Amino acid sequence: MMSGTTPVIFTHDLMKSFGRVQALDGLNFNVEAGEIHGFLGPNGAGKSTTIRILLGLLRSDGGTVKVCGQDPWRDAVSLHKRLAYVPGDVELWPNLTGGETIDMMLQLRGQYNQRRRDTLIERFDLDPRKKNRTYSKGNRQKVALVAALASHVDLLLLDEPTAGLDPLMEVVFQEVIREEQREGRSVLLSSHILAQVEALSDQISIIRHGKIVESGTLSDLRHMTRTTVVVETDHPADSLATLPGVHNLRVEVSKTTFDVDGDTVPHLMPKLTSLGVRSLVAHPPTLEQLLMRHYGTATDGITAAGAGTSPSGNAPEQRQDTP
Amino acid sequence: MSSTLTTQRTTEHSPAQATLTGTGRLLRTMIRRDRVRTTAWVVGLGLLGFYFAHAIQVIAEDTSELVSLTVMFADPVGRMMVGPGYGMDAPTHERFFAAGYVLFLYLLCALMSIFTVVRHTRADEQAGRSDLVRATVVGRHAPLTAALILTVLANLAVGVLVFGGAVSAGYAFTGSMLVAAGGVATGVFFGGLGAVTAQLASSSRSASGFAGAVLGLAYVVRMAGDMAAPGGSSLSWFSPLAWAQQTAPYVVDRAWPLLPLVGGGVLLAACGFVLSTRRDVGSGILPTRLGRSSAHSFLGTPWGMAYRTLRGGLRGWGIALVLTAAMYGSFTQTMVDAGDDLPAEFSQIFAGQDMIAGYVAYMSLFLAVFVAAAGVNAMGHLRGEELSGRAELGVSTSMGRGMWLVAHLCVIVAGVFSMLVMIGLVMAATAVATMATPVDGLFTDAMVASVHQFPAVLAVLGVVAAFFGWLPRFAMPIGWLLVGCAGALSAFGPLLELPDAVLSLNVFGHLAGFPVEDITGTPVVALTAVGTLGIVLGLAGWRQRDIHNV
Ligand SMILES: Nc1ncnc2c1ncn2[C@@H]1O[C@H](COP(=O)(O)OP(=O)(O)OP(=O)(O)O)[C@@H](O)[C@H]1O
Ligand SMILES: [Mg+2]
Repeated sequence: MMSGTTPVIFTHDLMKSFGRVQALDGLNFNVEAGEIHGFLGPNGAGKSTTIRILLGLLRSDGGTVKVCGQDPWRDAVSLHKRLAYVPGDVELWPNLTGGETIDMMLQLRGQYNQRRRDTLIERFDLDPRKKNRTYSKGNRQKVALVAALASHVDLLLLDEPTAGLDPLMEVVFQEVIREEQREGRSVLLSSHILAQVEALSDQISIIRHGKIVESGTLSDLRHMTRTTVVVETDHPADSLATLPGVHNLRVEVSKTTFDVDGDTVPHLMPKLTSLGVRSLVAHPPTLEQLLMRHYGTATDGITAAGAGTSPSGNAPEQRQDTP
Repeated sequence: MSSTLTTQRTTEHSPAQATLTGTGRLLRTMIRRDRVRTTAWVVGLGLLGFYFAHAIQVIAEDTSELVSLTVMFADPVGRMMVGPGYGMDAPTHERFFAAGYVLFLYLLCALMSIFTVVRHTRADEQAGRSDLVRATVVGRHAPLTAALILTVLANLAVGVLVFGGAVSAGYAFTGSMLVAAGGVATGVFFGGLGAVTAQLASSSRSASGFAGAVLGLAYVVRMAGDMAAPGGSSLSWFSPLAWAQQTAPYVVDRAWPLLPLVGGGVLLAACGFVLSTRRDVGSGILPTRLGRSSAHSFLGTPWGMAYRTLRGGLRGWGIALVLTAAMYGSFTQTMVDAGDDLPAEFSQIFAGQDMIAGYVAYMSLFLAVFVAAAGVNAMGHLRGEELSGRAELGVSTSMGRGMWLVAHLCVIVAGVFSMLVMIGLVMAATAVATMATPVDGLFTDAMVASVHQFPAVLAVLGVVAAFFGWLPRFAMPIGWLLVGCAGALSAFGPLLELPDAVLSLNVFGHLAGFPVEDITGTPVVALTAVGTLGIVLGLAGWRQRDIHNV
């Protein structure tokens, strides 16, 4: 149906405003067929807005958007047979069970694979007999995921699909997405946490203030990624500062902290070994560190705690005491 | 389990104190969050009381005018709408005020209390806000206590304003005091009820719905009880909504009927506290069961989805209204008997056949306004589907946005239509079954009277649908305004001598009062056209607007 050169998702100078808020401000990005595309951006950057336009739920104010070669606003119905969507904030019909919801969505969308549905339910460890209103956030997300992943579609639009999943389930999710890719499906995977998309994505686009600010493969973006390293060494480590790609070196007694550019890590390792490493901790960069470093400000509405990279992918909860 | 743990822990200190820790702080937060909403309720109710107290003196300047108006309250249909009608044999302005209008205030006090208590307990819990609060130093009973205190304060404020309104109109001190205290006591009772349903139900929506259903039941029982005899019958005493008016302000002036109200409220609140220790935060006492693991294939169609989404609400309203219809129908004979006891000059107006016809007309109208409320409530459900993101999820399938709305609207329209048919059938059947002497054509009349209201219900739905398509934020306020106008103007309109422009806001007022009057075609056609046009417009708007538009 699609030739190899037509992108599954094509946007050019896409604009969308809500009253005075300019949510999308000339968005340009493409997703090629068969690709897993990470769509990364801080809170309020315009990820969900983009996805809703791709679904034809919102009408763009300007620019071009094509999904599978079709206009998502005009051809929504025929297009929706070919794609599945998982919203960022999954709300389900409270009086249906999880199993009923999955079946309803699958049947409404068209063709689906009953066996795949059952195995997915099992793999995601979901009890389909429970009423939706009794599910936790993560379980609601699983229901929406199974309903999307068991259908026969060309494109998956997943808005922060793992925000509520525990680490075990995130592993299952990654396996399943790779299987989907092997079946030839394209995936758009939005997140505000770098670690969640980098494990899966072939391509990554970073959106900020409604514009794409970086786009490319993960290794293209390596120049942006700096790992923070904390080492304890037998010999003083000051000499590391002279290595290319090492920044912000700080020495406290035997503990040394520095940042290193992603593509220079290989050169660093022999040097470290020669210093006699007693312990070593490395943190991947967080999205806001990236954005901070490249654009000066942390961004709109993002808080350090809100988008921190925790390995589980769960952003630590912010608690506020009501006075 | 968790409750026993807490008890053990708290007994180290003074248990009562520990469970109430932080109540004052919570109360201040609630007041701050509620400053607009609760103030609006209180001031609105106060103004309404003031208006009622003063309006009568304008409408009926002297006693003869008053006496001629009294018919409306003294006859059984009037008593059914507004209360037991104490002192209508020798009407004065103040008696007229207490007999005709205060029930409306009491109903609103009850609603305010239910909403306030549920909003600050279950709704907060559901939104996860109370977890934030409970994580701070707050005793386990503090949120409910603070919510109840806030409710009592709001009711007291309403009481003060209503008392001021009545006294400023020159009404007697004791009677005015009783009118105001009746509102406060009713508010306290239903606040206590809210505290219980907030524990029982599994969501804030069903907590409010549950309490609202009890309020509705109380209203219906009161209608039947007060209709049966002037001053109410023994059935009236089964409805807490009837107790406040049993103080007979400006006539007998007795305070003791307020005791069961306040006592009942306190008892209910106590039950709420006990129940709250038996459940976990965020879940209800009534258990949730496991359901089907896969869907019936009908569910996987737009119709099936719409039906399942709206079924619960429509069915709840439908059952309540059909039961009400059964009760009204079976009271037709009582109605005739009560009419026989009327003074001679009244029985000339409401005699025999005409009396029954008037009763049937009034009942069909009254029930149809509630059917419209059920319809508007269902439209609110649609808006909720959109705001929660469920509409988005549905539309993201291949059914498309147009189909989504068509399917849901069809279910709503079919739902309200079958409600009217069921109400007509049941009212007709129960009326015919209980009449001592058969009345010609009663069955058909009752049936037709109910179905005849359909164009008005459709018109209300059409207007709401049009707003849903183009100005979704206004859809619900407009819908409830239309229903409120229809209810208030049908019940009180004739008494208030309002200008025709205001009266025409009553969608239902345009229809002929069948079977008293013959059905006329024009309003039926016009209202059907408004309804259909509104739905078509709404669909057009929905097709071109952003979904999830806040
Ligand atoms: N319906 C709406 N009305 C008004 N403003 C909106 C609406 N939807 C989104 N916005 C605004 O548009 C901007 C982009 O929002 P969007 O939801 O696309 O962000 P996002 O990247 O998905 O963020 P998050 O990571 O928090 O989900 C935000 O500033 C948001 O406040
Ligand atoms: Mg989002």
